[in-house]
Amino acid sequence: MTDIPVIYFLWVSAFLFATGLAILLLKKNTIFVLMGIELILNAANLNLVAFSKNEPSLQGLYLSIFVLVVGVCEMAIALAIVLQVYRNYRAIEVDQFKSEY
Amino acid sequence: MSPLVIAFLVLALLTCGSALAMLWTKNLLHAALAMFLTMLGLAGLYVLAYADVLAVAHVLVYVGGVLILILFGIMLTNQTDPATGKNHLMTRESNRLLPISVGLSFFLGLFWVFTKGPWINNLPVTGGSKLREVGLGLLTEYAFPFELAGIFLLIALIGATFVAKNHD
Repeated sequence: MTDIPVIYFLWVSAFLFATGLAILLLKKNTIFVLMGIELILNAANLNLVAFSKNEPSLQGLYLSIFVLVVGVCEMAIALAIVLQVYRNYRAIEVDQFKSEY
Repeated sequence: MSPLVIAFLVLALLTCGSALAMLWTKNLLHAALAMFLTMLGLAGLYVLAYADVLAVAHVLVYVGGVLILILFGIMLTNQTDPATGKNHLMTRESNRLLPISVGLSFFLGLFWVFTKGPWINNLPVTGGSKLREVGLGLLTEYAFPFELAGIFLLIALIGATFVAKNHD
């Protein structure tokens, strides 16, 4: 059985990273921006998994599990902050957060 | 082409296509559903990279956890249009030219670097499930970071509920 070359995974992860970056810059809704950040995190994760594919000590796989945990924590905290910001400003778009003072 | 490569192509097409749909759509709910498809495709790619443990954890965490959180976030921050009284979940965008050209140039640059890179492509194939190795490693060599990750998750979730509660 042949193996899938590492470079294929790298191409997919480069595409995901670029798409996440474009979403980050393009969208104004905060939740949309967070989804772009998730795409970037997952692109990095795919790189780690691809490089530990044929490596016996599996270090990349362990690191990617911890990246997954940290990504979930980031998402939970960020959505809580978005909720609180929405309560204070009645706005969800990044260019509408203006101080009244 | 081997069936493995065909499966890879289908999953990569699913992942990249729904990521592009996320970029293209202006509807927040459609983007959340496209993110669901992206995460499913990524889990399939993890399986093809022999990381089946991570694939299962990824589906559980992203489809079961993060996506529900995002849907709750969308529901709790929705704004009805005062003119029509309806809410179509449409979001505003900045000018499309600059972000897409930045993304495209990043993609081309990374593509060039990855293609030129001196990757070793003829490593011995060590296929098959890594479940036993990962389980042993997480409870022996990586036991401390594993426990630390658990405490970190607990702190983050308690902190998130504290931040999200009504402070009036």
